[in-house]
Amino acid sequence: MSLLGRVLGLNQDPDRQRHQAEQLARNQAWETALTNQTLPDFVKQRLADTKSGKLPWVSTGSVGAMLSQRSHGIHPLGMVSGNCWYHYGYSWTRGHYDGWHTAIDRMQHEATLMGANAVVDVKMSATRMEGTGEDQMDYAVLGTAVRIAGLATPRVPVIATVSALEFARLMESGILPVGLAIGAHYNWHYSYRNATGQGSWWNQELRELSDFMTDVRRAALSQLATDAARIGTGVLARVQFSELLRGEPLEQDPRQRFLGRHIAFGTAVLHEPRRHIPLGLRPVFSVSDGKMTPVMPTEKEII
Amino acid sequence: MADETSSQVNPALASLPKHALERLQGLREAGQSGGIFTSDLSVNEFLMVREAGFEPLGLVVGSCIYHVGIQYGSWGQNQELNVISQAMYQARELAMSRMEQEALTLMADGVVGVRLEVKRLGWDSDILEFMAIGTAIAHSAGHPGFKGPKGMPFTSDLSGQDFWMLLRAGHRPLAMVMGSCVYHVAHQGVFKAMGNVGRNVEITQFTQAMYDARELAMERMQNEAKESGADGVVGVQLHEGSHNWQPHVIEFFAVGTAVKPIEDKALIPEPASPQIVIPVND
Repeated sequence: MSLLGRVLGLNQDPDRQRHQAEQLARNQAWETALTNQTLPDFVKQRLADTKSGKLPWVSTGSVGAMLSQRSHGIHPLGMVSGNCWYHYGYSWTRGHYDGWHTAIDRMQHEATLMGANAVVDVKMSATRMEGTGEDQMDYAVLGTAVRIAGLATPRVPVIATVSALEFARLMESGILPVGLAIGAHYNWHYSYRNATGQGSWWNQELRELSDFMTDVRRAALSQLATDAARIGTGVLARVQFSELLRGEPLEQDPRQRFLGRHIAFGTAVLHEPRRHIPLGLRPVFSVSDGKMTPVMPTEKEII
Repeated sequence: MADETSSQVNPALASLPKHALERLQGLREAGQSGGIFTSDLSVNEFLMVREAGFEPLGLVVGSCIYHVGIQYGSWGQNQELNVISQAMYQARELAMSRMEQEALTLMADGVVGVRLEVKRLGWDSDILEFMAIGTAIAHSAGHPGFKGPKGMPFTSDLSGQDFWMLLRAGHRPLAMVMGSCVYHVAHQGVFKAMGNVGRNVEITQFTQAMYDARELAMERMQNEAKESGADGVVGVQLHEGSHNWQPHVIEFFAVGTAVKPIEDKALIPEPASPQIVIPVND
C-alpha cells in the first residue's frame, strides 16, 4: 500500500477494496488450477453452463459453418482456448514443442469439460511481449468446441485446424482430421575446416553445411512423423521453418560453431490409404470481379 | 443437448473408415510410424491429390548451402554476371536433385507442390542457402506411366488443385524447369544523366539490360524443358530479385512445370470443362 494512496484515502474506497480482493482471489484460483493441471471454478462453471444450455453457444465459425449443423450434425458448443508462456532455457526448439503441446492439452481439457468430441477452427498464435526477454513467449491456441452427432466421445477431443464446413467435407471423403503434430530439431555443428569457404574466389557448394542442415531437417521431419503417428495415419505439415546460425567460438575450443534448427507444424489425419471416395468435383470459373470470398480456407488457415 | 444429438444417426460418419473410428475411441493402439505419411500439402490439396488418383508418401527436402565466388564486372557496362548466374542455377539444381533422390528412395512417381526457397545467411553475404521442399506422391494403382524423364520421379511446383486439373486436361507433369540470369545494369555516365534532366526520354541502355536479362532466363528455361522431352511449360512465373546484392544487380528467375500429353489413353481422365458461375454474395 503506497503512502500516496494512504494520504489520498484511496484505499478507503470500498469499491476499490472489493475489486482488489476479487482480483487476488482470481489470481490465486488460476495459480492453484495451473499447478494442479485443471481450471479455476469460475471457468468450469462457465463451461458447464454452456454445456447445459444455460449460457448461449459461442462459435468462431462463419455463418456458412452453421449450415453444417443441419447437414452434418456439427453443433457448436463454445469457444475453448489454452495457452502457455514458456521460457526456453536449454533449447529453443524443445521449448516450441513443449509450449505448443501444453497449450493444446489445456484447450483439450476445456473441450472435454464441455462434453465436446471435437474442436474445429483451431488457430495457433505466438506472442512475444516487449520487455519480457528474447528467450520466452506465449503459445496460444483457440478454437470452437463442437459436438458431432453420432461420433463417440474419444478419450480426448479431436483437434482440427479446419472450419466446421471443411471438417464435414473431409468426413465425407473418409478423412478425419484428429490433431496437431509438431516436429522440431536443433543441433550444433563444429568444424576445424574452412566450412564457410571464406576468402574463396570460386563458386562452391559448402557440402559440410549442406549435409549438416539435411540431417537437422530429416531429424525434425522424422519427429513430426513420430508425433503424428500417436494420433493419425498421416500429417499435412503446411508450416515449416528453418534456420542456420553461426555461433561465436567457445573460449577453450577454436572450432567454428553452427546452430541449425527446423520446425514443422501439421494437421494429423486418420484415413485409409488407397480407399478414396470421389468428391464429385466440378471446376467452376467465377465471373465476379475483385476479391472473392473463399469458401475453402486458404493456405494460411490450415495453421 | 449434447446427449440428444449423439444418439442420432449421422450419415456423414458412414464414409469414415472403421479403423479411424476405432482408433479414435482408443480401441486400437496408435503408433505405426512405418505406415504414416508426411506432407506439406494443405487439406484441400490432400483431397485433390487423392481425387487425382494418387497417394502422398512423404515430405521430401533438398538443401544446398553455397558460397558464391568473386565476379568481375565493369561499372559502365550492361552484362550478365555469369559467375553469380551459374552459382544461383547450380545451387538450385543441387537442392532439387537431392529432393528428387529422397523421392526416389520413397519409390515415388513424382513430387508436387515444390517450393524453392533462397535465403541469405545473416553472417556471411557470400553464402546463400537453397531449399527445395515438396510432397512425394505415388499413383494409387501403381501405374508406371507418370514417371518423369529417365525414370526419375517427376517434379512440379503445381498445387494439388492444379495437378488434378492438369491431368483432366490430358497432360502430365515431367519436371520443374528453370532458368536464371543475374545481370549487371550499367551505370549511366554523369554527362549522359545530366543531359536527360527535365526531358521525357526512354533510357534505352536500362531497357536493353532488363530485356536481355529476362530473355536469357526464359531461353534457358525453355531449353531445359526441351531437354526433358516436354511439349510445353505451364504456370510459368518470372521472379525478379536482388538478394541484397549491390545496386544495379538483378536476378531474373523463370520457373514453371514442363508437361506433355499422357501417352497411355487408358490413363486420361474424363475431360472437365469449367462451369461459369456468378457469386451472389459479394
